[in-house]
Amino acid sequence: MTSDTIEKFDVAEFNKLADQWRYVITDMICRAGSGHIGGALSLVEVFATLYYRVLKIDPANPKWPERDRLIMSKGHAAPVWYVALAYKGYFPMDWLPTLNADATRLPSHADERFVPGVDATSGSLGQGLSMACGMALAAKRDQADHRVFCIIGDGETNEGQNWEAAMFASHQKLDNLIAITDYNKLQIDGFTDEILGLDPLKDKWQAFGWEVFEADGHDWDSLHDAFEQASAVIGKPSMIIAHTIKGKGCSVIENTPGSHNIKVPDQAAYDKYIGAMSNTDITLPY
Amino acid sequence: MSELHEMEMRAVYAETLNELIEANPAVMCVEADLAKASGTNPRVSEKHPDNFVDVGVSEANMICVGAGLATEGKVPFCATFSCFASRRVYDQITISVAYANNNVKIVGTAPGITQGPNGGTHMCFQDLAIMRAMPNMHVYSPADVYELRAMMNHMAGQHQPTYMQLIRPKVSQLFDENITFTPGKAVRITEGSDVTLISTGYMTRFAKQAGETLAAQGVSVDLLHCPSVKPMDEEAVIASARKTGCVVTLETQNIIGGLGSAVCEILSEHCPVQVKRLGVPDEFGEVASENYLFEKHKFGPSHVAEACQTLVAAKA
Repeated sequence: MTSDTIEKFDVAEFNKLADQWRYVITDMICRAGSGHIGGALSLVEVFATLYYRVLKIDPANPKWPERDRLIMSKGHAAPVWYVALAYKGYFPMDWLPTLNADATRLPSHADERFVPGVDATSGSLGQGLSMACGMALAAKRDQADHRVFCIIGDGETNEGQNWEAAMFASHQKLDNLIAITDYNKLQIDGFTDEILGLDPLKDKWQAFGWEVFEADGHDWDSLHDAFEQASAVIGKPSMIIAHTIKGKGCSVIENTPGSHNIKVPDQAAYDKYIGAMSNTDITLPY
Repeated sequence: MSELHEMEMRAVYAETLNELIEANPAVMCVEADLAKASGTNPRVSEKHPDNFVDVGVSEANMICVGAGLATEGKVPFCATFSCFASRRVYDQITISVAYANNNVKIVGTAPGITQGPNGGTHMCFQDLAIMRAMPNMHVYSPADVYELRAMMNHMAGQHQPTYMQLIRPKVSQLFDENITFTPGKAVRITEGSDVTLISTGYMTRFAKQAGETLAAQGVSVDLLHCPSVKPMDEEAVIASARKTGCVVTLETQNIIGGLGSAVCEILSEHCPVQVKRLGVPDEFGEVASENYLFEKHKFGPSHVAEACQTLVAAKA
C-alpha cells in the first residue's frame, strides 16, 4: 500500500496504514540500533490524520507557499514524520532505513535543512511553538490564509517557553495556529504526573486564551472532529489535547517509561521489538 | 532627520530599520519589552506597525518567533539588552537560528560597560565570546552611527544569522557616510609600524585616543578596528603583527573569549608575537561610571597607551 492509493477515508484501510507505519517505524529504529520509539508510535494516527485528512499540501512542491505548515516541536519523534512524508511521496521509501546512518538525510531529530516536507528544525524542546507563532504571525501580516500546525509533547510542556508562546499566540489572536499535545502521560524519567504534573492541562491552555479540544489520539473520528472544530475557531489559537499511549502497538514497551528510547544492540533485541508489534504481517516498503 | 552623528545610536538603529522596511517590506522589528530602550518605539512602531511586534518580556519566545518569521521569508531584527540577547537565549539562538540557518538578526543593546547604571546583573562582558563560538553565526560591533547604518544595510541584504552589538546613546563620530562594511574586513584607522592596536565597537574611540597620545610620544600605531569580530580579518591581523611585532587588543568584554582571544588564536597559529589583551579581567560588572571601570580594570585610553609602550619597549 502506498499513499497514492488512498483517496478517501476508510477505517479499515487507515487501520492497515497505521499498522504498517508502526511496523516501519520500529524497523527503522531497530536498524539504527536505538531511537525514540515511544513518542513516535503514539503519534501515528495524528500524523495519518494530518497528512491524509487535514493538511493542505503538495508533496511534489514541499515549499509551496500556500501549503499548511507543520512543526513538530518534539523533534525526537521524527521517525513517524519521516514515514508519513515518505508514504506521501516527499522522498523515496529507501531513505527510511537510513535513519541515523552516517551522512543520512534523516537525522534523529526533525531537520528542515535535509528533509523535504519538514517546515522547521526542532530538537531542543520548547522552541517549536514559538517558531509556529512566528510563522502564523507572518501569515497574518501577509494576509495569507494557510494554517500552521504544531505538535508538542507533554513532557515538553514542562518547558516554560511554551507558556511564553501561549500568551503571545492568544494576544496576537493567531487563529491560524493549531497546536496538538501528544498527551501520552509519559516523559523520560517516568509518568508525567509523578515527574511534573500537567493537569488540569485543558484549564491551563484555556486560561492562556486558547480554544481547547480533547481527542482520543488513536481514534480517527475523534481526531478528525477535533481538527474540524479547531479549524473553525476565530480570534484565538486552538489546542488539541490528543490522549495517546506511548509506544502504542509494541506490546513490550507500550505505556512504560522505557518506551522513550530503546537500545537494539543485536538481532535478539530486534526480534523482541519487531515480534511484539500488534500486526507483524507487514511487508516493508524498502 | 538631523545629521546622523548628532543622533543617538539607537535612533539611527530605528531610522535605519525604517529605511530598510521601506526598501523591503519583509524586514521586521521584533522587541521584547525594551522597544523604547532600543529606540524603535515609537520610531518604528508608529511608522510601520505592520512590521513591528513586541512579544513582551519573553526573550526566548522572541528569538524563536524571529526564527519562525525568518522561515517565512521575513528579515527580523530582534533586539534586547546584550545580556538577554546572548546568554539568556543561547540555546534558542544556537538551535532555532544558527543550526537551523534561519535568517535572524539578533541585536544586543547596551554592550559591556555601556550598560551603565543597571550594573552587574545587566553588564554583559561575554556576548562576543559566546556568540563567536557558535557555528554559522556572524558577530559584529559597530563603532559609530555611520558604520551602524552601513552594517545594517549589509545585514538586511544577506541570508546570514548575525549577532550585532548596539550602543544606545550618542557617541562621537569616527566615520562618515562613505564608510562601508564587509564581514571579515577590518578598518585601518591609522597606519603605523611600532605596535598593532586592535579594537572593536565602542572601544575603538578610546583606541584612537590612545593612538594620538602615542603618536605625540613618537610611537607609531597600526590601529585596526574590527567591526566584524567573526569572521575576523585574519589577513590584516597577521600582516600588521608581522610588521610591528607586538599587539594590544581592546574591548569592553571579558578578556577571555572575545576579540583578544580571537586575535591570539590567529596569531598563535600564523605569527606568534607578544599580545596584551585589555578589557575586563574575568570579573563581573558593577554599577559604576565608565572612568571608574577603566581605572579599576585598566583598560581606559591611558592604560592602552601604557600597554603599547610596554610592548614596544620589550621589543628593543
